[in-house]
Amino acid sequence: MGNIFDFLVVNPMTNIMLLIYGLFNNYVIAIVLLTVLIRLLTLPLNLKQMVSSIKMAALQPQMKALQEKYKNDPQTLSAEMRKLGFNPLSGCLPTLIQFPILIGLYNAIMRTMAVNPFSLLELGKHVYSFLPGLSSLVPINSQFLLWDLGQPDPFFVVPILVVATTYFSTKFTMAPTTDPQMKQTNQMMSWMMPIMFGFFMLSAPVGLGIYWVISNLIGIGQYYLLKPRLDSARALHAAPAATTMTAVAVASPAPKAPPPKSKVKPKSTAKIAKSGAESGKK
Amino acid sequence: MKTISSPRAGERAAISKLAAIIGSILLLTACAGEPPPSAFPGMSVYGDFAYLANNFHLSKWDLKSGAQVWQFPATQDTATPIGPFSGTPAKYGDWIIIGGSAGLNGGYDRHVYAVSDATGAEVWRFTGVREFVDGVVTDGKLIFAPSGDGVLYALDPSNRDTNGEPRVAWKFQTGNRLWSRPLLADGRLYQASFDHTLYAIDAATGQEIWRFDTPNAPVAVQPALRNGVLYFASFDGYAYAVNAADGTLKWKSPVDGWVWTDPSVGDTLLYMGDVRGRVYAFDLQSGERKWHFDALDSIKAHPVLANDLLYIVSMDTFVYALDPLGAGRDSNGKVDRNAAKWRNETLGRRLMTTPVIYGDNLLVPPLDGEVKIWSLNAKTGERGIRMPAAPTGTTMP
Repeated sequence: MGNIFDFLVVNPMTNIMLLIYGLFNNYVIAIVLLTVLIRLLTLPLNLKQMVSSIKMAALQPQMKALQEKYKNDPQTLSAEMRKLGFNPLSGCLPTLIQFPILIGLYNAIMRTMAVNPFSLLELGKHVYSFLPGLSSLVPINSQFLLWDLGQPDPFFVVPILVVATTYFSTKFTMAPTTDPQMKQTNQMMSWMMPIMFGFFMLSAPVGLGIYWVISNLIGIGQYYLLKPRLDSARALHAAPAATTMTAVAVASPAPKAPPPKSKVKPKSTAKIAKSGAESGKK
Repeated sequence: MKTISSPRAGERAAISKLAAIIGSILLLTACAGEPPPSAFPGMSVYGDFAYLANNFHLSKWDLKSGAQVWQFPATQDTATPIGPFSGTPAKYGDWIIIGGSAGLNGGYDRHVYAVSDATGAEVWRFTGVREFVDGVVTDGKLIFAPSGDGVLYALDPSNRDTNGEPRVAWKFQTGNRLWSRPLLADGRLYQASFDHTLYAIDAATGQEIWRFDTPNAPVAVQPALRNGVLYFASFDGYAYAVNAADGTLKWKSPVDGWVWTDPSVGDTLLYMGDVRGRVYAFDLQSGERKWHFDALDSIKAHPVLANDLLYIVSMDTFVYALDPLGAGRDSNGKVDRNAAKWRNETLGRRLMTTPVIYGDNLLVPPLDGEVKIWSLNAKTGERGIRMPAAPTGTTMP
């Protein structure tokens, strides 16, 4: 399994990183360019995740109504949720898919920095022999300004930057919600993630921190570039959400005032949501 | 009863799980016990004792009883831990000398330690700039310590400062990391450097005598010397033979991967292995490749010639005893794995430390795991004692 992961993910990244380093003779540039490249490749996944978050946030009122209605019938609740287009994994799946890519990039950075004999040995095993000259680039020059990119930051500048950019990246890219509980969860995440990564960076090489900062900055930039498209997706979801709210209410007999009949069915909402998600991709 | 969580709860659970995974990774990184090895362990044998530098300990083993005599440090000071250690421990009088090595995530120990052979207590330490990955060599007076800062330090333990640290008799600066020990012969040191160069240095003065530049890649091995010729290989895909007198090239011959094993020299053949797992036998005079053998993973430990066998250990966990002349090779010069005189899987652990012949046995230290040293019958590969011994009541694996 590890070999397949190496073959498909880590080895190509490692060799591309060495190639870029060979072109510019600067490891920071290599990290930046490879990060940009990977962020571009994972852009569709990011977009899907963002639209999905918006969709889920828009579906919150209907879901709340369904929960209330079927609180004693979890199986029907689950079926109705599916009809509504709810998928608990849709927000996390793109993130989970990106994880191997991030882990691959982490491994590629650690390998190419070759901070210890083991990582250099691993690098030696995986340098493509059909690309001439890569071995001559080893060991990479890890000195950058005041830092040795292969060492933890003695000045704590990079960990602080990691904390700051992770905070803003998490905050900006989280889907807005009106649900107080979700708000609380989001707030907790927006603090917990930066602190965890900052803590990790205290003992991790500066090169890895630079990757993380660049990745966060690109993420923030990406968010602002895509904002108009996301806003339109949000608007698309907001309208059918109101309609479906009515539909859900119709289906559930209210004790006092029975709601007016509606021709809109939950199934159609799912379709609208889907088309909205697709329009968000365009 | 089957329960189905609510959507919001599902989303929260997913986020919580994600956070828990990340948190666990960070927690494990920060709080786990001894981290995995980051450098190559080294072993040496003096008399009936083996000295093993592996990860965060240097340990002494009684080869007759299989018992551990001591380990250094006896206990790690959590506030100021030392290590990891790697490379071959060297004996200097009543001391065992070992270098601090490079750790995970870029950390390193920048000291050379002298440890009492009798007690395992620290006698002195020398503070350098970077790690000492491959240990030291000594002429009995000076200790030559190659460092990751690209400097070869000549330490004089007879001349120590007020802190007890040996003074530097001379130092020789190269252009990049020194991750291999120099060869000491005839008053000269032959030091390979990551700056693509092999240097010949006067051991008494530290003056450069000559240098040989490999064109393209680091050199990370201790060369072998035979009849006035130095043999070594580089990460550039070549094995080299260079005249020791003046550093002129005698021959060079291609290899397929990075060579990070010190070569072994037989009567007519030169042996080395590469990080892709291939072992080579070259003709000493011409450099012609006579045969090769493919292990299943990297070869880092040096090939050992003894008992008319060539012992190879690999990261593939096997010990191979091959015919030094390549008996059973095919028309392409390839020796099949089945042609090995014997092979022995050692507890399924990776093998990166050069084995040592002790009497009729081959001492093989696995990289990690409970067993620190296996003693194998050198002629048959049969397992003998293990160090430490298996706990009472358990069967030998």
